[in-house]
Amino acid sequence: MLMDPALGRVIERWRAGDRDAFEEVVDRYGLQLLRTARVILRDQALAEDAIQETFIKAWQRIGSLRDEDPGPWLTRIAMNESISSYRRRHRFQALTERFGRLGGGKPEVSSEQRLDLAHALDQITAEQRAAVALHYYQDLSVEDAAKALKVPVDTLKSRLKTALRRLRDLTGSEEIPA
Amino acid sequence: MSDQFDKNLRDHLRHEAEEIREFPRPLRGRIREGITPRARLRMAPQLALAGALVLVAFAVLIARNPQVVLNDVRSTITQLIQPSPSPTPQPFTCSDRSGGTTGLLAQLTGIRTAHHSEAPGFDRIVFDFNGGIPSYDLTRQVSSTFVKDASGQPVTLDGGAGIKLVFRDASVQGVADDQKLNLAAVREIAQLGNFERVLSYGIGLSSSSCVRVLELTGPSRLVVDVTTGTSASASPAPTPLPTIPSATDLTPFACQDLAGGSNNGPAMRLTAVRVAHQAAGYDRIVFEFAAPSGVTPYVPAYTVSRQASTKFVKDPSGQDVTLRGSSGLRIVMHGASGADSYTGSRDITPGLPVLQEVEQLGDFEAVLSWGAGLSRPSCIRTLELSNPTRLVIDVQTP
Repeated sequence: MLMDPALGRVIERWRAGDRDAFEEVVDRYGLQLLRTARVILRDQALAEDAIQETFIKAWQRIGSLRDEDPGPWLTRIAMNESISSYRRRHRFQALTERFGRLGGGKPEVSSEQRLDLAHALDQITAEQRAAVALHYYQDLSVEDAAKALKVPVDTLKSRLKTALRRLRDLTGSEEIPA
Repeated sequence: MSDQFDKNLRDHLRHEAEEIREFPRPLRGRIREGITPRARLRMAPQLALAGALVLVAFAVLIARNPQVVLNDVRSTITQLIQPSPSPTPQPFTCSDRSGGTTGLLAQLTGIRTAHHSEAPGFDRIVFDFNGGIPSYDLTRQVSSTFVKDASGQPVTLDGGAGIKLVFRDASVQGVADDQKLNLAAVREIAQLGNFERVLSYGIGLSSSSCVRVLELTGPSRLVVDVTTGTSASASPAPTPLPTIPSATDLTPFACQDLAGGSNNGPAMRLTAVRVAHQAAGYDRIVFEFAAPSGVTPYVPAYTVSRQASTKFVKDPSGQDVTLRGSSGLRIVMHGASGADSYTGSRDITPGLPVLQEVEQLGDFEAVLSWGAGLSRPSCIRTLELSNPTRLVIDVQTP
Protein backbone atom coordinates (compact mmCIF):
# COMPACT_ATOMS: atom_id res chain seq x y z
CA MET A 1 0.00 0.00 0.00
CA LEU A 2 1.25 3.50 -0.78
CA MET A 3 2.37 5.49 2.19
CA ASP A 4 1.40 9.11 2.57
CA PRO A 5 4.38 11.48 2.73
CA ALA A 6 3.77 12.61 6.29
CA LEU A 7 3.72 9.04 7.52
CA GLY A 8 6.82 8.34 5.45
CA ARG A 9 8.67 11.08 7.29
CA VAL A 10 7.57 9.64 10.63
CA ILE A 11 8.87 6.22 9.61
CA GLU A 12 12.20 7.69 8.56
CA ARG A 13 12.54 9.34 11.96
CA TRP A 14 11.66 6.04 13.58
CA ARG A 15 14.34 4.29 11.52
CA ALA A 16 16.79 6.87 12.88
CA GLY A 17 15.87 5.88 16.42
CA ASP A 18 13.45 8.70 17.20
CA ARG A 19 11.20 7.40 19.97
CA ASP A 20 8.71 10.24 19.53
CA ALA A 21 8.21 9.14 15.94
CA PHE A 22 7.71 5.57 17.10
CA GLU A 23 5.10 6.75 19.59
CA GLU A 24 3.28 8.54 16.77
CA VAL A 25 3.04 5.16 15.07
CA VAL A 26 1.76 3.61 18.31
CA ASP A 27 -0.86 6.36 18.47
CA ARG A 28 -1.90 5.78 14.89
CA TYR A 29 -2.20 2.00 14.89
CA GLY A 30 -2.31 0.95 18.52
CA LEU A 31 -6.00 1.21 19.21
CA GLN A 32 -7.14 -0.81 16.23
CA LEU A 33 -4.52 -3.50 16.83
CA LEU A 34 -5.53 -3.71 20.47
CA ARG A 35 -9.19 -4.03 19.58
CA THR A 36 -8.42 -6.78 17.07
CA ALA A 37 -6.26 -8.63 19.58
CA ARG A 38 -9.07 -8.34 22.14
CA VAL A 39 -11.48 -9.98 19.70
CA ILE A 40 -9.05 -12.85 19.15
CA LEU A 41 -7.88 -13.37 22.72
CA ARG A 42 -11.21 -12.66 24.47
CA ASP A 43 -9.27 -11.05 27.30
CA GLN A 44 -8.22 -7.42 27.72
CA ALA A 45 -5.06 -8.09 29.74
CA LEU A 46 -3.81 -10.73 27.31
CA ALA A 47 -4.56 -8.43 24.40
CA GLU A 48 -2.57 -5.61 26.01
CA ASP A 49 0.37 -7.96 26.59
CA ALA A 50 0.25 -9.06 22.96
CA ILE A 51 0.19 -5.49 21.68
CA GLN A 52 2.98 -4.46 24.04
CA GLU A 53 5.10 -7.27 22.63
CA THR A 54 4.03 -6.34 19.10
CA PHE A 55 5.32 -2.81 19.35
CA ILE A 56 8.51 -3.76 21.16
CA LYS A 57 9.28 -6.25 18.39
CA ALA A 58 8.37 -3.65 15.78
CA TRP A 59 10.79 -1.20 17.38
CA GLN A 60 13.54 -3.82 17.31
CA ARG A 61 12.78 -4.98 13.77
CA ILE A 62 12.23 -1.69 11.98
CA GLY A 63 14.95 -2.75 9.56
CA SER A 64 12.64 -5.41 8.15
CA LEU A 65 9.95 -2.86 7.23
CA ARG A 66 10.19 -2.06 3.56
CA ASP A 67 9.11 1.24 2.08
CA GLU A 68 5.44 0.58 2.69
CA ASP A 69 2.61 1.47 5.00
CA PRO A 70 3.52 -0.10 8.34
CA GLY A 71 -0.11 -1.05 9.05
CA PRO A 72 -0.11 -4.50 7.41
CA TRP A 73 3.37 -5.21 8.80
CA LEU A 74 2.26 -4.35 12.33
CA THR A 75 -0.89 -6.39 11.85
CA ARG A 76 1.19 -9.43 10.90
CA ILE A 77 3.26 -9.09 14.06
CA ALA A 78 0.17 -8.52 16.20
CA MET A 79 -1.63 -11.55 14.76
CA ASN A 80 1.40 -13.73 15.39
CA GLU A 81 1.68 -12.48 18.96
CA SER A 82 -2.04 -12.87 19.62
CA ILE A 83 -2.27 -16.43 18.33
CA SER A 84 0.96 -17.44 20.11
CA SER A 85 -0.36 -15.95 23.32
CA TYR A 86 -3.64 -17.83 22.97
CA ARG A 87 -1.83 -21.09 22.29
CA ARG A 88 0.34 -20.64 25.38
CA ARG A 89 -2.72 -20.06 27.52
CA HIS A 90 -4.60 -22.87 25.83
CA ARG A 91 -1.79 -25.34 26.56
CA PHE A 92 -1.92 -24.37 30.20
CA GLN A 93 -5.67 -24.75 30.30
CA ALA A 94 -5.50 -28.20 28.72
CA LEU A 95 -2.95 -29.25 31.28
CA THR A 96 -4.92 -27.98 34.24
CA GLU A 97 -8.11 -29.56 32.95
CA ARG A 98 -6.35 -32.87 32.56
CA PHE A 99 -5.20 -32.72 36.19
CA GLY A 100 -8.53 -32.12 37.82
CA ARG A 101 -10.02 -29.27 35.83
CA LEU A 102 -8.25 -26.58 37.82
CA GLY A 103 -8.51 -24.11 35.00
CA GLY A 104 -11.58 -22.40 33.67
CA GLY A 105 -12.08 -24.42 30.53
CA LYS A 106 -14.66 -23.73 27.89
CA PRO A 107 -18.18 -24.73 28.82
CA GLU A 108 -19.60 -27.66 26.95
CA VAL A 109 -22.45 -26.62 24.68
CA SER A 110 -25.30 -28.98 23.95
CA SER A 111 -27.14 -28.85 20.66
CA GLU A 112 -30.15 -27.41 22.46
CA GLN A 113 -28.25 -24.43 23.74
CA ARG A 114 -28.22 -21.29 21.72
CA LEU A 115 -25.42 -18.90 22.48
CA ASP A 116 -25.13 -15.26 21.72
CA LEU A 117 -22.37 -14.26 19.36
CA ALA A 118 -19.96 -13.27 22.11
CA HIS A 119 -20.09 -16.71 23.67
CA ALA A 120 -20.10 -18.39 20.28
CA LEU A 121 -16.88 -16.56 19.41
CA ASP A 122 -15.36 -18.02 22.57
CA GLN A 123 -15.93 -21.48 21.14
CA ILE A 124 -14.03 -21.25 17.85
CA THR A 125 -10.25 -21.48 17.58
CA ALA A 126 -7.94 -18.51 17.85
CA GLU A 127 -6.89 -18.98 14.23
CA GLN A 128 -10.53 -18.85 13.14
CA ARG A 129 -11.19 -15.79 15.30
CA ALA A 130 -8.17 -14.07 13.77
CA ALA A 131 -9.54 -14.75 10.29
CA VAL A 132 -12.98 -13.50 11.33
CA ALA A 133 -11.56 -10.40 13.05
CA LEU A 134 -9.45 -9.38 10.07
CA HIS A 135 -12.13 -10.01 7.47
CA TYR A 136 -15.26 -8.94 9.31
CA TYR A 137 -13.93 -6.34 11.75
CA GLN A 138 -10.95 -4.83 9.94
CA ASP A 139 -12.67 -5.33 6.58
CA LEU A 140 -9.53 -6.77 5.02
CA SER A 141 -9.95 -8.69 1.80
CA VAL A 142 -9.44 -12.44 1.97
CA GLU A 143 -6.07 -11.97 0.26
CA ASP A 144 -4.89 -9.30 2.71
CA ALA A 145 -6.13 -11.27 5.70
CA ALA A 146 -4.24 -14.30 4.42
CA LYS A 147 -1.07 -12.22 4.12
CA ALA A 148 -1.51 -10.88 7.64
CA LEU A 149 -1.81 -14.39 8.98
CA LYS A 150 0.88 -15.74 6.67
CA VAL A 151 -1.32 -18.53 5.34
CA PRO A 152 -2.44 -19.42 1.81
CA VAL A 153 -5.64 -17.80 0.59
CA ASP A 154 -7.40 -21.18 0.43
CA THR A 155 -6.53 -21.84 4.06
CA LEU A 156 -7.94 -18.49 5.04
CA LYS A 157 -11.13 -19.17 3.11
CA SER A 158 -11.43 -22.55 4.77
CA ARG A 159 -10.99 -21.02 8.22
CA LEU A 160 -13.64 -18.42 7.51
CA LYS A 161 -16.05 -21.00 6.20
CA THR A 162 -15.54 -23.32 9.16
CA ALA A 163 -15.77 -20.46 11.63
CA LEU A 164 -19.00 -19.15 10.15
CA ARG A 165 -20.58 -22.58 10.05
CA ARG A 166 -19.67 -23.11 13.71
CA LEU A 167 -20.92 -19.68 14.72
CA ARG A 168 -24.20 -20.26 12.91
CA ASP A 169 -24.58 -23.63 14.61
CA LEU A 170 -23.87 -22.21 18.03
CA THR A 171 -26.21 -19.28 17.66
CA GLY A 172 -28.93 -21.19 15.88
CA SER A 173 -28.74 -18.99 12.81
CA GLU A 174 -29.98 -20.53 9.60
CA GLU A 175 -27.89 -20.03 6.51
CA ILE A 176 -29.76 -18.36 3.68
CA PRO A 177 -29.06 -20.07 0.36
CA ALA A 178 -27.33 -17.84 -2.17
CA MET B 1 -21.62 -14.29 2.71
CA SER B 2 -23.79 -11.20 2.71
CA ASP B 3 -26.82 -12.33 4.64
CA GLN B 4 -28.19 -10.98 7.90
CA PHE B 5 -25.85 -13.21 9.89
CA ASP B 6 -22.80 -11.56 8.31
CA LYS B 7 -24.19 -8.15 9.17
CA ASN B 8 -24.89 -9.21 12.74
CA LEU B 9 -21.38 -10.58 13.02
CA ARG B 10 -19.84 -7.36 11.74
CA ASP B 11 -21.98 -5.28 14.08
CA HIS B 12 -21.15 -7.50 17.01
CA LEU B 13 -17.40 -7.41 16.34
CA ARG B 14 -17.45 -3.65 16.00
CA HIS B 15 -19.44 -3.28 19.19
CA GLU B 16 -17.18 -5.69 21.05
CA ALA B 17 -14.01 -4.00 19.79
CA GLU B 18 -15.22 -0.51 20.57
CA GLU B 19 -15.66 -1.38 24.20
CA ILE B 20 -12.03 -0.29 24.27
CA ARG B 21 -12.56 3.43 23.96
CA GLU B 22 -8.94 4.51 23.76
CA PHE B 23 -5.44 3.17 23.83
CA PRO B 24 -4.64 2.66 27.53
CA ARG B 25 -2.06 5.04 28.92
CA PRO B 26 -0.40 2.38 31.12
CA LEU B 27 0.10 0.25 28.02
CA ARG B 28 1.70 3.18 26.26
CA GLY B 29 4.04 3.51 29.26
CA ARG B 30 4.88 -0.19 29.19
CA ILE B 31 5.78 0.03 25.51
CA ARG B 32 7.90 3.09 26.14
CA GLU B 33 9.65 1.28 28.96
CA GLY B 34 10.15 -1.75 26.74
CA ILE B 35 12.10 0.18 24.14
CA THR B 36 14.28 1.97 26.69
CA PRO B 37 17.24 -0.26 27.49
CA ARG B 38 18.51 2.15 30.11
CA ALA B 39 15.35 1.75 32.13
CA ARG B 40 15.67 -2.01 32.23
CA LEU B 41 19.23 -1.83 33.45
CA ARG B 42 18.65 0.91 35.93
CA MET B 43 18.62 -1.30 39.02
CA ALA B 44 21.73 -3.22 38.02
CA PRO B 45 24.30 -0.94 39.72
CA GLN B 46 22.33 -0.85 42.96
CA LEU B 47 21.90 -4.62 42.98
CA ALA B 48 25.59 -5.12 42.27
CA LEU B 49 26.47 -2.76 45.12
CA ALA B 50 24.14 -4.55 47.53
CA GLY B 51 25.62 -7.92 46.55
CA ALA B 52 29.13 -6.65 47.02
CA LEU B 53 28.31 -5.31 50.48
CA VAL B 54 26.85 -8.66 51.52
CA LEU B 55 30.01 -10.40 50.39
CA VAL B 56 32.13 -7.92 52.32
CA ALA B 57 30.04 -8.52 55.44
CA PHE B 58 30.54 -12.28 55.21
CA ALA B 59 34.25 -11.90 54.70
CA VAL B 60 34.45 -9.72 57.76
CA LEU B 61 32.42 -12.26 59.73
CA ILE B 62 35.06 -14.87 59.09
CA ALA B 63 38.06 -12.65 59.79
CA ARG B 64 37.01 -10.71 62.89
CA ASN B 65 35.36 -11.16 66.27
CA PRO B 66 31.59 -10.68 66.69
CA GLN B 67 31.83 -7.15 68.11
CA VAL B 68 33.80 -6.00 65.13
CA VAL B 69 31.30 -7.75 62.87
CA LEU B 70 28.44 -5.92 64.56
CA ASN B 71 30.18 -2.61 64.03
CA ASP B 72 30.86 -3.40 60.42
CA VAL B 73 27.27 -4.45 59.79
CA ARG B 74 26.07 -1.23 61.41
CA SER B 75 28.45 0.69 59.25
CA THR B 76 27.26 -1.14 56.14
CA ILE B 77 23.61 -0.47 56.92
CA THR B 78 24.39 3.18 57.58
CA GLN B 79 26.03 3.42 54.21
CA LEU B 80 23.02 1.79 52.56
CA ILE B 81 20.46 4.17 54.03
CA GLN B 82 22.52 7.32 53.66
CA PRO B 83 21.54 9.68 50.94
CA SER B 84 23.37 8.92 47.77
CA PRO B 85 26.46 11.11 47.51
CA SER B 86 26.68 14.19 45.41
CA PRO B 87 26.39 13.13 41.84
CA THR B 88 29.45 12.53 39.79
CA PRO B 89 29.63 15.35 37.28
CA GLN B 90 28.18 14.27 33.97
CA PRO B 91 28.10 16.13 30.69
CA PHE B 92 25.12 18.26 29.83
CA THR B 93 23.24 17.07 26.78
CA CYS B 94 20.91 18.93 24.49
CA SER B 95 18.41 16.13 24.10
CA ASP B 96 15.20 14.87 25.66
CA ARG B 97 15.44 12.38 28.50
CA SER B 98 13.35 9.59 30.00
CA GLY B 99 13.77 7.38 33.02
CA GLY B 100 12.35 6.46 36.41
CA THR B 101 10.64 3.22 37.27
CA THR B 102 7.45 2.18 35.52
CA GLY B 103 4.62 0.97 37.70
CA LEU B 104 5.91 2.72 40.79
CA LEU B 105 3.37 4.76 42.71
CA ALA B 106 5.17 7.85 43.92
CA GLN B 107 4.22 11.13 45.53
CA LEU B 108 5.94 14.40 44.75
CA THR B 109 6.59 16.16 48.04
CA GLY B 110 8.72 19.12 47.07
CA ILE B 111 10.38 21.11 44.33
CA ARG B 112 13.57 22.93 45.26
CA THR B 113 15.71 25.18 43.13
CA ALA B 114 19.15 26.78 43.44
CA HIS B 115 21.85 28.26 41.28
CA HIS B 116 25.27 26.58 41.20
CA SER B 117 28.13 28.73 40.06
CA GLU B 118 30.74 26.07 39.37
CA ALA B 119 31.59 25.78 35.71
CA PRO B 120 29.77 25.74 33.40
CA GLY B 121 27.21 27.25 35.76
CA PHE B 122 23.79 25.74 36.11
CA ASP B 123 20.46 26.06 37.86
CA ARG B 124 19.38 22.97 39.74
CA ILE B 125 15.79 21.81 40.18
CA VAL B 126 15.21 18.99 42.64
CA PHE B 127 11.96 17.01 42.62
CA ASP B 128 11.58 15.16 45.94
CA PHE B 129 9.51 11.97 45.96
CA ASN B 130 8.14 9.52 48.45
CA GLY B 131 8.25 5.96 47.18
CA GLY B 132 10.91 6.24 44.49
CA ILE B 133 11.25 8.09 41.23
CA PRO B 134 8.32 7.39 38.93
CA SER B 135 8.60 6.94 35.20
CA TYR B 136 9.19 10.32 33.58
CA ASP B 137 9.78 12.03 30.25
CA LEU B 138 11.66 15.30 29.97
CA THR B 139 11.10 17.18 26.72
CA ARG B 140 12.85 20.39 25.69
CA GLN B 141 11.05 22.97 23.59
CA VAL B 142 11.83 26.27 21.98
CA SER B 143 8.98 28.20 23.52
CA SER B 144 7.72 28.66 27.05
CA THR B 145 4.14 28.00 26.01
CA PHE B 146 2.65 24.74 27.17
CA VAL B 147 -0.71 23.04 26.89
CA LYS B 148 -2.46 22.30 30.17
CA ASP B 149 -3.51 18.70 30.57
CA ALA B 150 -7.21 17.92 30.58
CA SER B 151 -8.30 21.47 29.74
CA GLY B 152 -6.09 21.79 26.67
CA GLN B 153 -5.67 25.49 27.41
CA PRO B 154 -2.34 27.07 26.50
CA VAL B 155 -0.27 28.63 29.28
CA THR B 156 2.83 30.73 28.76
CA LEU B 157 5.46 30.79 31.50
CA ASP B 158 8.18 33.36 32.06
CA GLY B 159 11.10 32.99 29.70
CA GLY B 160 11.73 32.23 26.08
CA ALA B 161 12.16 28.46 26.09
CA GLY B 162 10.93 25.56 28.11
CA ILE B 163 11.11 22.06 29.42
CA LYS B 164 8.12 19.80 29.94
CA LEU B 165 8.42 17.12 32.56
CA VAL B 166 5.78 14.38 32.75
CA PHE B 167 5.62 11.88 35.61
CA ARG B 168 3.45 8.79 35.32
CA ASP B 169 1.80 7.03 38.27
CA ALA B 170 2.51 10.05 40.42
CA SER B 171 0.56 12.29 42.75
CA VAL B 172 1.52 15.51 44.48
CA GLN B 173 1.02 16.96 47.92
CA GLY B 174 2.13 20.20 49.48
CA VAL B 175 3.83 21.61 46.40
CA ALA B 176 2.99 25.03 45.03
CA ASP B 177 1.30 24.91 41.63
CA ASP B 178 3.35 27.80 40.33
CA GLN B 179 6.75 29.08 41.40
CA LYS B 180 8.16 32.27 39.92
CA LEU B 181 11.93 32.24 40.18
CA ASN B 182 14.67 34.66 39.46
CA LEU B 183 17.47 32.31 38.56
CA ALA B 184 19.77 32.73 35.60
CA ALA B 185 18.08 30.03 33.54
CA VAL B 186 14.98 28.81 35.37
CA ARG B 187 12.27 31.48 35.50
CA GLU B 188 9.10 29.64 36.40
CA ILE B 189 7.89 26.16 37.28
CA ALA B 190 4.17 25.50 36.95
CA GLN B 191 2.02 22.44 37.20
CA LEU B 192 0.41 21.68 33.83
CA GLY B 193 -1.68 18.75 34.87
CA ASN B 194 -2.53 16.25 37.57
CA PHE B 195 -4.88 13.89 35.86
CA GLU B 196 -5.29 10.13 36.07
CA ARG B 197 -1.99 9.83 37.93
CA VAL B 198 -0.11 11.67 35.21
CA LEU B 199 1.57 14.67 36.75
CA SER B 200 3.16 17.23 34.48
CA TYR B 201 5.16 20.42 34.96
CA GLY B 202 6.30 23.14 32.64
CA ILE B 203 9.58 24.90 33.29
CA GLY B 204 10.08 28.31 31.75
CA LEU B 205 13.70 29.02 30.84
CA SER B 206 15.33 32.32 29.96
CA SER B 207 16.64 30.71 26.77
CA SER B 208 17.17 27.32 25.20
CA SER B 209 19.51 25.36 27.48
CA CYS B 210 21.06 21.93 27.74
CA VAL B 211 20.29 19.70 30.68
CA ARG B 212 21.50 16.80 32.69
CA VAL B 213 19.27 14.56 34.78
CA LEU B 214 20.28 12.63 37.88
CA GLU B 215 18.24 10.04 39.75
CA LEU B 216 19.25 9.94 43.41
CA THR B 217 18.12 7.88 46.38
CA GLY B 218 17.68 8.31 50.14
CA PRO B 219 15.46 10.29 49.81
CA SER B 220 14.33 9.68 46.26
CA ARG B 221 14.86 12.74 44.14
CA LEU B 222 15.11 13.62 40.50
CA VAL B 223 17.61 16.35 39.80
CA VAL B 224 17.40 18.45 36.67
CA ASP B 225 20.37 20.72 36.01
CA VAL B 226 19.95 23.44 33.42
CA THR B 227 23.01 25.17 32.04
CA THR B 228 23.40 28.89 32.47
CA GLY B 229 26.88 29.13 30.93
CA THR B 230 27.76 29.94 27.36
CA SER B 231 28.38 26.30 26.46
CA ALA B 232 24.70 25.74 26.07
CA SER B 233 24.33 28.26 23.32
CA ALA B 234 26.83 26.38 21.21
CA SER B 235 24.83 23.23 21.48
CA PRO B 236 22.26 22.18 18.94
CA ALA B 237 18.84 23.69 19.42
CA PRO B 238 16.03 21.41 20.48
CA THR B 239 13.61 20.13 17.94
CA PRO B 240 11.15 22.94 17.18
CA LEU B 241 7.75 22.32 18.62
CA PRO B 242 4.57 24.07 17.71
CA THR B 243 3.63 27.30 19.30
CA ILE B 244 0.14 27.67 20.63
CA PRO B 245 -0.76 31.31 20.21
CA SER B 246 -3.85 32.97 21.52
CA ALA B 247 -6.38 34.49 19.18
CA THR B 248 -4.84 37.91 19.44
CA ASP B 249 -1.27 36.75 19.10
CA LEU B 250 -0.77 35.87 15.46
CA THR B 251 2.46 34.02 15.00
CA PRO B 252 4.61 34.38 11.90
CA PHE B 253 4.03 32.03 9.02
CA ALA B 254 6.34 29.03 9.01
CA CYS B 255 7.45 27.06 5.99
CA GLN B 256 7.42 23.77 7.86
CA ASP B 257 5.05 21.14 9.19
CA LEU B 258 3.15 22.14 12.31
CA ALA B 259 1.55 20.22 15.15
CA GLY B 260 -0.33 20.97 18.31
CA GLY B 261 -3.56 20.40 20.18
CA SER B 262 -3.98 17.69 22.75
CA ASN B 263 -5.55 14.29 23.08
CA ASN B 264 -7.35 14.41 26.37
CA GLY B 265 -10.13 11.92 26.20
CA PRO B 266 -13.36 11.44 24.31
CA ALA B 267 -13.22 12.42 20.67
CA MET B 268 -14.24 15.96 19.77
CA ARG B 269 -17.09 16.25 17.29
CA LEU B 270 -16.44 18.16 14.10
CA THR B 271 -19.35 20.51 13.46
CA ALA B 272 -18.16 22.86 10.73
CA VAL B 273 -15.46 23.44 8.15
CA ARG B 274 -15.12 26.96 6.74
CA VAL B 275 -12.73 28.49 4.24
CA ALA B 276 -12.24 32.12 3.29
CA HIS B 277 -9.65 34.57 1.99
CA GLN B 278 -8.42 37.25 4.40
CA ALA B 279 -7.28 40.59 3.05
CA ALA B 280 -4.25 40.52 5.33
CA GLY B 281 -2.69 38.05 2.95
CA TYR B 282 -3.81 34.56 3.69
CA ASP B 283 -6.47 31.93 3.02
CA ARG B 284 -8.02 30.49 6.15
CA ILE B 285 -9.39 27.03 6.93
CA VAL B 286 -11.39 26.65 10.12
CA PHE B 287 -12.32 23.34 11.73
CA GLU B 288 -14.91 23.87 14.45
CA PHE B 289 -15.55 21.30 17.19
CA ALA B 290 -18.08 20.56 19.89
CA ALA B 291 -17.43 18.39 22.90
CA PRO B 292 -19.56 15.40 23.85
CA SER B 293 -21.86 16.03 26.80
CA GLY B 294 -19.98 16.49 30.06
CA VAL B 295 -16.58 16.83 28.41
CA THR B 296 -14.45 19.97 28.43
CA PRO B 297 -13.84 20.96 24.81
CA TYR B 298 -10.32 20.99 23.47
CA VAL B 299 -8.58 21.24 20.15
CA PRO B 300 -7.64 17.67 19.24
CA ALA B 301 -4.02 16.74 18.65
CA TYR B 302 -3.22 17.64 15.07
CA THR B 303 -0.46 17.66 12.50
CA VAL B 304 -0.40 19.82 9.40
CA SER B 305 2.07 18.37 6.89
CA ARG B 306 3.12 20.19 3.73
CA GLN B 307 3.67 18.18 0.59
CA ALA B 308 4.80 18.86 -2.95
CA SER B 309 1.77 17.36 -4.66
CA THR B 310 -1.98 17.29 -4.33
CA LYS B 311 -2.09 13.51 -4.30
CA PHE B 312 -3.28 12.02 -1.03
CA VAL B 313 -4.04 8.56 0.26
CA LYS B 314 -7.49 8.11 1.75
CA ASP B 315 -7.68 6.60 5.19
CA PRO B 316 -8.44 3.70 5.75
CA SER B 317 -9.21 2.58 2.19
CA GLY B 318 -5.73 3.37 0.91
CA GLN B 319 -7.21 4.80 -2.30
CA ASP B 320 -5.41 7.67 -4.01
CA VAL B 321 -7.18 10.99 -4.45
CA THR B 322 -5.82 14.03 -6.27
CA LEU B 323 -7.08 17.49 -5.33
CA ARG B 324 -6.92 20.68 -7.35
CA GLY B 325 -3.70 22.67 -7.34
CA SER B 326 -0.04 21.76 -7.35
CA SER B 327 0.93 21.28 -3.72
CA GLY B 328 -0.90 20.26 -0.62
CA LEU B 329 -1.45 20.13 3.08
CA ARG B 330 -2.46 17.04 4.99
CA ILE B 331 -4.27 17.78 8.23
CA VAL B 332 -4.61 14.87 10.64
CA MET B 333 -6.53 15.23 13.90
CA HIS B 334 -6.33 12.52 16.56
CA GLY B 335 -9.29 12.28 18.88
CA ALA B 336 -11.81 13.82 16.49
CA SER B 337 -14.61 12.64 14.28
CA GLY B 338 -17.32 14.15 12.16
CA ALA B 339 -19.13 10.92 11.41
CA ASP B 340 -22.16 11.76 13.53
CA SER B 341 -21.84 15.52 13.83
CA TYR B 342 -20.66 17.06 10.57
CA THR B 343 -23.28 17.58 7.90
CA GLY B 344 -21.47 19.98 5.60
CA SER B 345 -19.62 19.27 2.39
CA ARG B 346 -16.69 16.90 2.58
CA ASP B 347 -15.23 18.27 -0.64
CA ILE B 348 -15.04 22.06 -0.77
CA THR B 349 -13.69 23.84 -3.85
CA PRO B 350 -13.55 27.52 -2.93
CA GLY B 351 -11.09 28.64 -5.63
CA LEU B 352 -9.34 31.10 -3.33
CA PRO B 353 -5.99 32.70 -4.28
CA VAL B 354 -4.05 29.71 -2.94
CA LEU B 355 -6.58 27.37 -1.40
CA GLN B 356 -8.14 25.42 -4.27
CA GLU B 357 -9.82 22.45 -2.63
CA VAL B 358 -10.37 20.99 0.84
CA GLU B 359 -11.51 17.38 1.09
CA GLN B 360 -11.99 14.88 3.85
CA LEU B 361 -9.52 12.01 3.51
CA GLY B 362 -10.57 9.84 6.40
CA ASP B 363 -12.67 9.56 9.53
CA PHE B 364 -11.85 6.30 11.20
CA GLU B 365 -11.23 5.23 14.77
CA ALA B 366 -11.32 8.86 15.96
CA VAL B 367 -8.61 9.88 13.50
CA LEU B 368 -9.97 12.58 11.25
CA SER B 369 -7.94 13.67 8.25
CA TRP B 370 -8.45 16.29 5.58
CA GLY B 371 -6.38 17.32 2.60
CA ALA B 372 -5.99 20.76 1.09
CA GLY B 373 -4.95 21.44 -2.49
CA LEU B 374 -2.96 24.64 -2.97
CA SER B 375 -2.10 26.56 -6.12
CA ARG B 376 1.49 26.96 -4.94
CA PRO B 377 3.71 25.84 -2.06
CA SER B 378 2.88 28.14 0.83
CA CYS B 379 3.89 28.82 4.39
CA ILE B 380 1.34 28.22 7.11
CA ARG B 381 0.44 28.97 10.69
CA THR B 382 -2.08 27.46 13.06
CA LEU B 383 -4.26 28.94 15.76
CA GLU B 384 -6.16 27.13 18.49
CA LEU B 385 -9.20 29.10 19.52
CA SER B 386 -11.98 28.59 22.02
CA ASN B 387 -15.65 29.51 22.35
CA PRO B 388 -16.30 27.74 20.10
CA THR B 389 -13.35 25.39 19.92
CA ARG B 390 -11.61 25.82 16.58
CA LEU B 391 -8.46 24.81 14.80
CA VAL B 392 -7.50 27.51 12.34
CA ILE B 393 -4.98 26.98 9.55
CA ASP B 394 -3.83 30.06 7.68
CA VAL B 395 -2.16 29.61 4.30
CA GLN B 396 -0.05 32.53 3.19
CA THR B 397 -0.98 34.11 -0.14
CA PRO B 398 1.31 36.14 -2.45
